[in-house]
Amino acid sequence: MKQLLPFLFVLTTMSASAVTKLEADSMAARAQRAYAMGDARTALAAYDSIAVDHNSAALQLNIGNCWFKLGDVAHAILHYERGLRLAPGDEDLQANLDLANEQVKDRIAEKPSFALGTTWARIRGGHDPDQWARRSLWVCALFFALLTAAILLRGRGPRRIAFTSSGLALIFLALCIAFAVARHNEVVDDGQAIIMEPKVDVLGEPRTGSKVLFVLHKGTKLTVLQEANGWYEVQLPNGNVGWMPPAALERI
Amino acid sequence: MNWTARLILLMALIGSTASLRAQEITFTASVDRKSIAVGEHVRLTITLSNAGDRFSTPDLGGLVVVGGPSYGSNMVSTNGRMSVSVSRTWLLTGTAPGKFTIGASKASVGGGTLQTEPITIEVVKAGSRPSDASAAQGQRSDPNLFVTISLSKNKAYVGEQVLATYTLYNRYAALELSKFELPKLNGFWSEEIEIGESGWSEQVVNGIGYRVAVLKKQLLFPQRSGKLRVEPMELTCIVNRSFFNRGSSIDLKSSPVDFTSLALPPNAPADFSGAVGELDLQVQTDRTSVKANEAIEIVVRMSGRTNLKLLDAPKLDFPGDFEAYDPKVVDKISVNASGMSGSREFQYTVIPRHDGHFDLGTISFSYFDTRTNTYKSLASDPIVIDVAPGEGGPSTNLRYPSKSDVVTLGEEVRYIRTGDLDLRTKGHFLFASLPWFAGMGAPALAFLLLLAWQRKRERERGDVEGTRRKRADGVARKRLREAELGLDQGDRNVFYAALSKALHGYLSDKFNLGVAEVNTNELRQRFATYADGNELADDCARLLTACDMARFAPVEDKPRRELYEEAAQLIQRIERSARK
Repeated sequence: MKQLLPFLFVLTTMSASAVTKLEADSMAARAQRAYAMGDARTALAAYDSIAVDHNSAALQLNIGNCWFKLGDVAHAILHYERGLRLAPGDEDLQANLDLANEQVKDRIAEKPSFALGTTWARIRGGHDPDQWARRSLWVCALFFALLTAAILLRGRGPRRIAFTSSGLALIFLALCIAFAVARHNEVVDDGQAIIMEPKVDVLGEPRTGSKVLFVLHKGTKLTVLQEANGWYEVQLPNGNVGWMPPAALERI
Repeated sequence: MNWTARLILLMALIGSTASLRAQEITFTASVDRKSIAVGEHVRLTITLSNAGDRFSTPDLGGLVVVGGPSYGSNMVSTNGRMSVSVSRTWLLTGTAPGKFTIGASKASVGGGTLQTEPITIEVVKAGSRPSDASAAQGQRSDPNLFVTISLSKNKAYVGEQVLATYTLYNRYAALELSKFELPKLNGFWSEEIEIGESGWSEQVVNGIGYRVAVLKKQLLFPQRSGKLRVEPMELTCIVNRSFFNRGSSIDLKSSPVDFTSLALPPNAPADFSGAVGELDLQVQTDRTSVKANEAIEIVVRMSGRTNLKLLDAPKLDFPGDFEAYDPKVVDKISVNASGMSGSREFQYTVIPRHDGHFDLGTISFSYFDTRTNTYKSLASDPIVIDVAPGEGGPSTNLRYPSKSDVVTLGEEVRYIRTGDLDLRTKGHFLFASLPWFAGMGAPALAFLLLLAWQRKRERERGDVEGTRRKRADGVARKRLREAELGLDQGDRNVFYAALSKALHGYLSDKFNLGVAEVNTNELRQRFATYADGNELADDCARLLTACDMARFAPVEDKPRRELYEEAAQLIQRIERSARK
């Protein structure tokens, strides 16, 4: 009975969200029809109401597309970025983000290209932020199964094989948990933000009237370093740091 | 005005009298002015041509005759045909302000009666300026000579054709045009109409007789919507020039004409290219089944009343296997007073380069129909062409156009994810959640439980030696069976080896000894606890020695069967005594 408890818990949580998920599915179908008819505004409203309680990379892609069709590139970028955090290396999201970024006025620096690029991103994340957490559960079960086999088996050969592979499983388990931790931090992280106002002055100090360091435009991606006096200290991809009012930003 | 135009006009003037057709009967009444002040004079002339000289004096409606009637006659012979006209002229005056109507004059011609039109004369107070009844025709500086611009419509759609006529009205005897300027046309596309040599004609305007010449006709096509204006036409004439008189120069200026150009309705079809009027579309293909590399001619003919000269070729999309050339344009367009009409043909020459069945689709064209004031779309029947393999077979493939890079024409975001959106509850992650910890802990817990159970079972099972002893008898019997097998086969080596091994194995298992430790002394010690221990130990040692002797030397002091029975009995005796 003790072993069954977590599964029961998973089942109950799933059925609890299943009621609203049914509504969400019908809303998604309606939004899809509206989008197909070219009515991005209606589609966006429906997707937004789904997004109150639900989230997924696909949903973020669709919301981003609606904004793009409505001509708001900054919001499109925001949602594509949110989708990419859930599913790093997703081709559709990346392609649409690149297209939207072409319309952004600021060009700060080329993003650092990683040698393995999307392949690494997909290993890291895939379409499922829970991927590594779930793998760690399986590997944990495998590890203890092998350990059990090592104890129960007769004969030196099989026992040695079982014991050695349980050691390997333990190493893999540690890796899985490390990945799961990294992914979780990545998904939960809200350190990055998109500029939502047509033009923002980035100041040298967190007070009105201080020296303007540089001017940024809608759709540019920033890292938020800290908050002080109701101001955000932000950093550009090229390392420049400055202060700006939080109203001009939306966190990814 | 250049000399050629002068010459043409002069010829027109010479021909003017000749063009009065010889036998045509006309009966007209005219005045020189229609508005006079009290005491001023107005001249009334009634002319009857080619019908004798009798007509009645009209009722003058209160006007007083101050002069006349004076009689005049005119006789012209043209190419042997006589034309005679008789006229009577009165000089009238008004004595009081008001409107006076000169009634009809009647003439009996043949069996019937001709009448002139009644004419109304306005008499105003002396000194006050006479209001000109024909003010609508513009400010005529000289009532005897003026020029007008008239349009066939005052309102038309953009692109619809409108006829403009420039007319000169004249009452002078001799007239010469010295300067002639067509008005500037802003917002119109114009097309000249050839009117040939036009003569003078007689026309009565508001009761005053004029000789009228059409100077020019133009088709106008408004190019933008809104208020448009045809600017005044200006020309200079010299009148009354004769051998004795230098004549006098008169500058004429017509009044401008305002025109309203209506915008086309907004629901234009996608393939509408601006054609307005009445149109018909015909598409002809000279043949529909050809061999590859043979030319086909496709003729698209548009006919009707519209600005045909501005019609563009309809867009035809030929398959990539077709080589198409720019169309040849053949016009059969006539421009006359009834408008521009005719046809324009686009002759396409296409050469299929590969065999196959090709559906070129329909050729469609849209225009704005001025009869119904709606857009109309014309479409041909679909063109289907069967191409048979050409001469030289598949080598025609070599003439394919060379490959080209795919050109990106536009960019679009990738389409939304349809179907299952793989939704999950927001902010709910498996990692570090309760189910995750439970899932990680459960196998560990299960493993610990298993370990505990295993310990307990070990304790229950006791020591390993006990287990071995219990199994000794069964193992010995099994090994004796192998010896029995050797006995049956008559194989001496196998039998003695199996028997020796069975005894050694049995004893080593029984007393938990190594195989090498099985000897007489050791056995005596072990059997000490047994009832007849020494005897059993000696028997065991003797049997083992006998086996070894038989194995390694060719000595057999007993038959093998007897030895086998002895071994079996010995094991049974050991087991029995052990069980005491």
